[in-house]
Amino acid sequence: MRRSILLASALATTLALTACGAGEPSGGSSADEGADPSAAPSASGSLTVWVDETREAAVQTAAEAYEAESGVDVEIVQKNFEDIRADFLAQVPTGEGPDITVGAHDWLGEFTANGVVQPIELGDKAGDFIPVSVEAFTQDGQVYGLPYAIENIALIRNTALAPEAPATYDDMVAAGKKADTKFPFLIQSDGDKGDPYTYYPFQTSFGAPVFEQNDDGSYRPELALGGDNGEAYATWLGEQGAEGNLSIDISYDIAVEAFAKGQSPFVIGGPWMLEQFQDLDLAVDPIPAPGDEPAQPFVGVQGFYVSAQSANALVANDFLVNYMSTSEAQTALFEAGGRPPALVEAADAASADPLVAGFREVGAQAVPMPSIPEMGSVWSFWGVTEASIISGKADDPVKAWDKMVSDIEGALG
Amino acid sequence: MSRARYKGADAGSGTFSGAGFAVKLVLIALVDALGVFGVLAAWRAGSWGILAAMVALLVAANWVYFTKRALPLKYILPGLAFLLVYQVYVIGYTGYVAFTNYGDGHNSTKEQAIDALLVQNERRVEGSPALPLTVVESGDGDLGFAVTRDGAVEVGTADEPLDAAPDATVSEGAVTAVPGWTVLDRQAVLQRQQEVTTLRVPVSDDAADGSVRTQDARTGYVFQPVLEYDEAADTMTDASTGVVYTPNDEGQFESADGETLPVGWRVTVGFENFATAFGDDRYAGPFVKILLWTFAFAVLSVVTTFALGMFLAMVFNDPRLRGRKVYRTLMILPYAMPGFLAALLWSGMLNKSFGVINQVLLGGAAIPWLTDPWLAKLSVLGVNLWLGFPYMFLICTGALQSLPGDVYEAARIDGAGKWRTWRSITMPLLLVATAPLLISSFAFNFNNFTLIKMLTGGGPRFDDASVPLGHTDILISMVYNVSGLDGSAPRDYGLASALSIVIFVVVGVISAIAFRQTRKLEELS
Amino acid sequence: MTTATERATGPATDGPGGQVLRHRMPAGRWARELGWRHVVGVLAVLYAVFPIVYVVSASLSPTGTLTGSNDLFAQVSGVNYAELGDTKFWTWMGNTLVIGVATAVGTVLMGAAAAYAFSRFRFAGRRLGLTSLLIIQMFPQMLAFVAIFLLLISLGEVVPVLGLNSKIALICVYLGGALGVNTFLMYGFFNTVPRELDEAAKIDGATHAQVYWTIILRLVTPILAVVGLLSFISTFGEFIIARVVLQSESNWTLAVGLYGWVSSLLEANWGLFAAGAVLSAIPVLALFLFLQKYIVGGLTAGSVKG
Repeated sequence: MRRSILLASALATTLALTACGAGEPSGGSSADEGADPSAAPSASGSLTVWVDETREAAVQTAAEAYEAESGVDVEIVQKNFEDIRADFLAQVPTGEGPDITVGAHDWLGEFTANGVVQPIELGDKAGDFIPVSVEAFTQDGQVYGLPYAIENIALIRNTALAPEAPATYDDMVAAGKKADTKFPFLIQSDGDKGDPYTYYPFQTSFGAPVFEQNDDGSYRPELALGGDNGEAYATWLGEQGAEGNLSIDISYDIAVEAFAKGQSPFVIGGPWMLEQFQDLDLAVDPIPAPGDEPAQPFVGVQGFYVSAQSANALVANDFLVNYMSTSEAQTALFEAGGRPPALVEAADAASADPLVAGFREVGAQAVPMPSIPEMGSVWSFWGVTEASIISGKADDPVKAWDKMVSDIEGALG
Repeated sequence: MSRARYKGADAGSGTFSGAGFAVKLVLIALVDALGVFGVLAAWRAGSWGILAAMVALLVAANWVYFTKRALPLKYILPGLAFLLVYQVYVIGYTGYVAFTNYGDGHNSTKEQAIDALLVQNERRVEGSPALPLTVVESGDGDLGFAVTRDGAVEVGTADEPLDAAPDATVSEGAVTAVPGWTVLDRQAVLQRQQEVTTLRVPVSDDAADGSVRTQDARTGYVFQPVLEYDEAADTMTDASTGVVYTPNDEGQFESADGETLPVGWRVTVGFENFATAFGDDRYAGPFVKILLWTFAFAVLSVVTTFALGMFLAMVFNDPRLRGRKVYRTLMILPYAMPGFLAALLWSGMLNKSFGVINQVLLGGAAIPWLTDPWLAKLSVLGVNLWLGFPYMFLICTGALQSLPGDVYEAARIDGAGKWRTWRSITMPLLLVATAPLLISSFAFNFNNFTLIKMLTGGGPRFDDASVPLGHTDILISMVYNVSGLDGSAPRDYGLASALSIVIFVVVGVISAIAFRQTRKLEELS
Repeated sequence: MTTATERATGPATDGPGGQVLRHRMPAGRWARELGWRHVVGVLAVLYAVFPIVYVVSASLSPTGTLTGSNDLFAQVSGVNYAELGDTKFWTWMGNTLVIGVATAVGTVLMGAAAAYAFSRFRFAGRRLGLTSLLIIQMFPQMLAFVAIFLLLISLGEVVPVLGLNSKIALICVYLGGALGVNTFLMYGFFNTVPRELDEAAKIDGATHAQVYWTIILRLVTPILAVVGLLSFISTFGEFIIARVVLQSESNWTLAVGLYGWVSSLLEANWGLFAAGAVLSAIPVLALFLFLQKYIVGGLTAGSVKG
């Protein structure tokens, strides 16, 4: 008897807790300002920055410079890059999240729809950046991020095995076969989940971009990957898969390992691979097109976002606009992450390395990865369909491709 | 955490006097002291929910440990307290979320949504220049901006539009002194940074000219709001088109012709999530297959891991066997590796063309371990067996120790063979001892999202379905997909919560029934 | 109390065979009774260890990937292990040990107490309580992080040490699961300890607390060791809640830190990760070796006193 009363009362208080927790986010920050002596002394300005492991040291250096000059306390919190997007979305509305986080430009649509980021006014500094990097962070005329790096894939060539850059896809396959290595060229896939990001340049060369683009380069949620061009690409995928030039069993690990061992003269990949190829003589070339149009890969821009709920917005903006946009800071980030910097001055300096210059050149022809939230619905159908066409599991490439288009349309609603 | 300690206090409950009672008194006093500290802190912070919970727990603790009547509770309460706070509350909260539209686009409170909309829709006036800016303070403490516009210094506050200040001193492009105003240094600006960033200084008496604001207290720009919020009427007005948006039941601002503003807020939506959960007919076909596979996967995982674990436990239970320690220790290894690593590792090892299983062990075979529907299922079960058998091995090794030896004696005297002894004595007794664990292992595998996600990602896909689901997807990974938690659709925590409540009910009912059955079994044997 | 367990007059001897002195036996009999067990043992160990060889190989390779190569041990160097010193690895190791041990001890204490109550007392709601404990653990935890996060924010405003980024808070969250599956494991085991023992002690004037601390707990050492080990291992590998609660890098556990090294697969630091994974398995193995004598031998020893 007594026990049930106790249980009931405990349950009641738990429910009260629930109610409290639910209502808490709105009033949380204001309530504790005076009351809680243990809260960080935000009055003098302090800054919390989320950074992933790769870039932590580089941001730390800039933060120390800023601390020394302004007396502001900068706390660098290391997060897993994969977690940042969801954690930022979940935590900012509770008033907890950071003041600044690193992130990729394609998160922008989701971030603005949830109101978790605030615009950054770059002012005249916008001109100091490579245009595509600022455009990628722009939505409705507002800039929401300070870009620091541009990443895209290109053709990495082992010059010992292939002295010439191939002009077309067929040239590449021919040169690869002539080199008499285990693979004529390497392009990664993620098993039967496919890898549409890495395959995208082939697709664009057939004139089948994923979404329609507006004149200013932004995407609108109308699919463009269907139609004759898309079907031509699908047919081509099926043929190449049957010939064995493309294989979904080549994972990232396998591609890197094979290229490092000299088992292929070519690999399609990004600057993040280069660390594994230190013993080889390399060149970075444009991706040869199998179709009639240029093979444009996606370009991804990484940058810093400012939280909409930041109590230190002034410090955050000051730190980003006046300290992280310097050539030293951007160069430090480049050295940590290997992606060409977004700041023109730093990018020019980094381009002294011909490999970096090669990636940058390809990036100049690339198209930004769509940042509209609709993109999320595309990925999961896209890759699997490509994989099933390449592996021959889908016996009719065109039919499979058309089904994919209609499935995506169904998911977009 | 302090509560764990008063376990010791039990040592002398009731009239039992001496050291035990003293220990109990000290521990309870300690708990009370910490509790009162917590209550006071909650009072100061104004957290009434926590205050009530703490008082209730404190009263319960004192009552339980000083009355003679609540004997069982003396032993259960410490664990129960943690259970209530960290598990029951969590379930309760998820239940609450199930009735809201928490998710993408409805991520925050209305206040925050309004702020976000206003911030996103305040635009820099096109072509307006960057203005070097200094924060200044008037005699009565109002903040203002001193900006350099077209070479001349102008000063203004929120109430007074920019006005020329010809006597200001400018050095190196920045205003360093303005008569009648105090120039704030960096520290002072930082002290009042929120005031600075929210300050808008009108350019002129005409609001249409916009106002100056700054984000870094170094440079100002002229901004013009596109959306305006009317607090009294609770409406948003688009300044350029004049369209008025009012809040709707869905937690969004909506115009008369049904157009909504992008950022919304969280509202309760009743049973809508539960209706949606069963409403999308694209999921109808895959659902049945996935449901069947989920049950098969969960049951087979338990059966295979238990069978192998039990077999090995019995094999190594012979005290004459040398090197038992080494065998046992090495067999714990899979359990000592983080699960996500194991799944990643196996997905590489099972790669059709390059994996070590096909290449080295099977001499270059091309078996599609992860891409054929049936083989993929087999692979998932096999990897789960590798991951799970050490657990069962441990449990069975422990449980074997408690089997009554005299029964074996009796069996031997009766002339029962090894197989017979195992079948009619060891196995039933082991089953009785481990049944609750098997049930909970079933429930764990029913929701074993990490394994499926890391190993196959649910693939290979169904060819005939229009949703991205596959042959090895289980219910929980389907929930991830339906509610967009995997990123393939807008995230909907409300829907995900509703679905997890539904799954919880299903698994809970099955487990409760199974549990009752095992109780019967226990009583029979 | 079940009939099965009441039939037991005392704790079991070690296994079906009982204690048999080691002496020479004919080869045929050896093969029949022990030899095959070695065969099974070797096969089982191969199955268990084979994938781990990959990890060890990757940890010794100065470059390369985790699964890209089938040439195991093509290069051997200790670079990765040395490099761990430049990271926070050892801090994480310390955190993990603290959190794991604290959780294991708390789980054993609280779970054993509850199991004792359920096993020895008859009270209203006992069956319901047992069933509820089982069912509550089955809630799909995929969304738990949202609620736990909000709960810790609220608690942290009152008592910072119970809030986010506190190891104590994480231990508390883990202890929320102390009553659960483990309670059942112990409950079943407690039931096998004959009640006559407590009753005899009670007649001698012992209180229920004395019975619990001085008689029962001694007799159930093996299961306490098993539960302690299970709790330690699951804490060791848990990273979903840990990475939500522990926000600053110096507070991370091993699982969170190691996950971070490979979470971005393209930039995955496989060598470092593999070295870390190999080293992080050592505490688990050490604990198992340490507890093994209690798990296997404990009961027989206890019976002498009982």
